[in-house]
Amino acid sequence: MSSSRRSRQASSSSRISDDQIADLISKLGQSIPEIRQNRRSSTVSASKVLQETCNYIRNLNKEADDLSDRLTQLLDTIDPNSPQAAVIRSLING
Amino acid sequence: MASADKTINTDVPEKDVFAIHFLQSLSNLRIQNLFNSPDTTNYRVRKIKKAAYVSMARAAGGTSRLWSRALLRRAAKGNNKIVRFPRRKRKVTWKISSKRRRSDQRAPVVEDAAERLRNLVPGGGGMETSKLMEETAHYIKCLSMQVKVMQCLVDGLSPK
Repeated sequence: MSSSRRSRQASSSSRISDDQIADLISKLGQSIPEIRQNRRSSTVSASKVLQETCNYIRNLNKEADDLSDRLTQLLDTIDPNSPQAAVIRSLING
Repeated sequence: MASADKTINTDVPEKDVFAIHFLQSLSNLRIQNLFNSPDTTNYRVRKIKKAAYVSMARAAGGTSRLWSRALLRRAAKGNNKIVRFPRRKRKVTWKISSKRRRSDQRAPVVEDAAERLRNLVPGGGGMETSKLMEETAHYIKCLSMQVKVMQCLVDGLSPK
């Protein structure tokens, strides 16, 4: 689109219409299990998708936190002679 | 920059790419004698969490994504390392207020929600709304992959 060339001096993004944004948002929705699995309605509102995305990211961050805790515990208490330690050693060195 | 007609690519690498990067990070931590040190558990947890995010950013393509660049830059600041990023051919996000103002033309309800999203996605603050959507889709795929890897590791290490 020639309009995108005209607007290049300001930034690297082309003029993107609201429709295209809505399309991008619905594509984003497909990456979120909550939205992908609820096919009740054919369209989910943009703000709902964004809301669910925020929730999903927060959940993932929380899970990462919890797993980091757990992993630290496990790595601390691992008996160097246990099979688990051997697995870790082989994974890290292999 | 191509127009938004192009289908956005949100392919992420396979799980084992994330696993390898994470294990490598953990191994580096061990080399730093992390697990025999008298540091508090809290410190160790933070180190592991940081290793997880950094290895995720590297596995996901390092500096080729805005969010991973922002994440790596943030992590490097924490280490007081001077990091040089290779010059990118196309201009990455300047904080040009005119760019953000363009997105103000969007429906306010979308912009409000997008604002909250910007706080959650690394580097989101400088992204235009359409770019934010693309980066977010990629970010959440990578984040969920990283969580799966960590879960597998925890499961494998847990006493039977």
